[in-house]
Amino acid sequence: MQLIRLALKNIRGSGFRSIAIFLAVMSVAGFLLATTLIIAGAQYSLDSGLERLGADILVVPEGAEIKIETALLMGKPVDAWMPRENIQKVANIPGVEAVSPQIYLSSMFDSPCCAVSEMFIVVYDPETDFTIAPWLEKNLGRSLAKGEVIGGNYIFVPEGSQYIRLYGYDTDLVGNLEPTGTGMDQTLFMTLDTAVAMAESSRTTALMTLNIDPDVISTIMVKVAPEVDTHRVALQIREDTDGMVPVESPNLFGTFRNQMNGLLWGFFAITVIVWVVTMILIGILFSTVANERRREMAVLRAVGATRNFIFRSVLTEASLLGLGGAVIGIAFAASSLYIFKDMIAGSLKMPFLFPSIPSFISLFSAGVALAIVSIALSALIPALRLSRQELAIAMRE
Amino acid sequence: MLTFKNVTKSFRLDEENTITPVRNVSLEIEKGEFIVIIGRSGTGKTTLLNLAAGLVRPTSGQVTVGNSDLAEMTDKQISSLRSQKIGFVFQFPSLLPPLNVKDNVSLPAMFANGNGSKDPGKRAAQLLDTLGLASKMDVYPKQLSAGEQKRVIIARALINQPQLILADEPTSDLDNRTENEVMGILRDINSKGVTFLIVTHSLDLIAFATRAFEMENGNLKSITSAQSR
Amino acid sequence: MFMNKFLGIAIIVLALAIAIVPAFTDCQSQGKSLTTTTGKAVPMKCHWNGIAEIGVAVPLVTVGAMMTLNRRKNNLMTMGVLGIVLGGMAIAFPNGLIGVCTTPTMICHTVMKPALTVFGSLAIVGSLGAMVLGRKAKD
Repeated sequence: MQLIRLALKNIRGSGFRSIAIFLAVMSVAGFLLATTLIIAGAQYSLDSGLERLGADILVVPEGAEIKIETALLMGKPVDAWMPRENIQKVANIPGVEAVSPQIYLSSMFDSPCCAVSEMFIVVYDPETDFTIAPWLEKNLGRSLAKGEVIGGNYIFVPEGSQYIRLYGYDTDLVGNLEPTGTGMDQTLFMTLDTAVAMAESSRTTALMTLNIDPDVISTIMVKVAPEVDTHRVALQIREDTDGMVPVESPNLFGTFRNQMNGLLWGFFAITVIVWVVTMILIGILFSTVANERRREMAVLRAVGATRNFIFRSVLTEASLLGLGGAVIGIAFAASSLYIFKDMIAGSLKMPFLFPSIPSFISLFSAGVALAIVSIALSALIPALRLSRQELAIAMRE
Repeated sequence: MLTFKNVTKSFRLDEENTITPVRNVSLEIEKGEFIVIIGRSGTGKTTLLNLAAGLVRPTSGQVTVGNSDLAEMTDKQISSLRSQKIGFVFQFPSLLPPLNVKDNVSLPAMFANGNGSKDPGKRAAQLLDTLGLASKMDVYPKQLSAGEQKRVIIARALINQPQLILADEPTSDLDNRTENEVMGILRDINSKGVTFLIVTHSLDLIAFATRAFEMENGNLKSITSAQSR
Repeated sequence: MFMNKFLGIAIIVLALAIAIVPAFTDCQSQGKSLTTTTGKAVPMKCHWNGIAEIGVAVPLVTVGAMMTLNRRKNNLMTMGVLGIVLGGMAIAFPNGLIGVCTTPTMICHTVMKPALTVFGSLAIVGSLGAMVLGRKAKD
């Protein structure tokens, strides 16, 4: 305790120098955490999105892989079609446990501001579905009735209305899925019954008629049997079928992941370099300070301080500055990121979901620990020099 | 109390030059003595005090405080000795700038491991009051005059009720009146059994000594014998 | 008292930011406002937030100015309390009292609301700081 009290007084007493070190640590720690959080948030978002999909393999029309990946990632509707008969072809592949088709539609464009925005509509088959059903079972305890829909986290009923009107047909939003940070948050899920009713209604009530061809689908969700190798099933689908391509879930968003990794790890590398350079500069600053404080330390030794005390005293000062700077910097960066997350994700054009509390606490603690250790390392040599100096000579200076 | 036995101290300035501020000094100081050593600047007086405090080790010879040979003590033991048994008054301004007067005075108590003053804050206040600085307890060193700083340093040296006080030019920044006042306080403390070793260039302080010496070119020679108080 | 002057000036700057930010982050400034068939712009939540925040900014500037010019403990404490309340209102308008459009990609949602939240919070922190420092001031 005495050591900490003395260190705090020394920090207060050295004014400008302490502020400079504090601000340097605060800025670099904050920036490092911000880049780490963005990377972690992007990973978390993609992982949440994949978990939401619920399928081991997505079978998509040949040539539409990128389009569908973008649709799922960014919530931009897409046109992708293949014959319905493909469902049975995929179901016949050995190792396939279940298949379920989905049809992708979009809401009407040019919707008025503040009303329902451009939406990605996913039509699923309740008889065979295994992706939405678990959520429905858990949260509603039943399947969707005709006219009912569930939405991603960003889907909402416009103010002043009880329903979401799509193609002139009123749908009842009965629930929202947990956020993923991907385009699935802007996705609306409905059954084929509802979609057909909507298409019927659009003939008379909508600006644009919606046509749903009963013989075409957009994708096939595939569940692989438990002890079967997903990759082998995917290879077999590719070999045994035409006009469609299997995408294994972990590889979904692969293109995007590569681009994102390049960009984000580039940021991270820059931050690490800045960190190292800052710590070197702080080390030089500590050395300068140590030279100026030689006599002060000699006096402490003369009144009874041991070498070990002097060493610990200098390191304690450095660690306290590191701790304070890191905590403030990281807290500031994290809260800024949290408050401005929509703007950041929008301008970086990437999915982002703020990491879970336990992850965040780990990152926070790791950041603070790194700051303390780094700054203590910066102060190590000056601390050693001060503790081992020739006292009589120091006092003569 | 404090014994120098054939003590020599040399400092190597560079490969070719060595200085020897203390040459073959032998001196035995009994408990309760008030020893004054005079000499001009550069005659080795400060080095002698540093040897007594264990701040430097002799090149040859032996320095003993109590019954302990300083050369055989570990850093921890010497540090403990310095905080509990020795009070040091430096020639240069040695107050720590970030600490106020009260904290500066209480500093040695921090290192005494509970063997120093039991209530350092209270003792600091008493000492500062005795030295006429009661109103300056919360003030910082840069706000004090040179004379006031010197008195604070003296208070710091006394905080743990040491058995031995080593003082380097204790009255150098003081006017005559204050010098007499401070020396009166030191003699008063001495009368309670505390041993003093003072080095100074001021001949006026000889009057306060039980024994006085002169340091010249590293050699010590007696100039008076024990005086009755 | 230098810190109080510094905090007072900081609060003035924050108040100006609170007044100005909505003007640059509403739909009208982005050319995306709702219009009637006659071409008249329909005010939306971002517009009303902008008006309300001017109502917060003007007294907050006054609070900042009074903090800069005052040294008495009572006055500083009073200004501090007012600053906290006004900072709270700056946060409350876009976050509940008026709100912003729900569409998550709209600028009122991504920029205006978070920015006003941050500035309001900083005004609260600054006012609290002035109150803490004002405790030591003379009456």
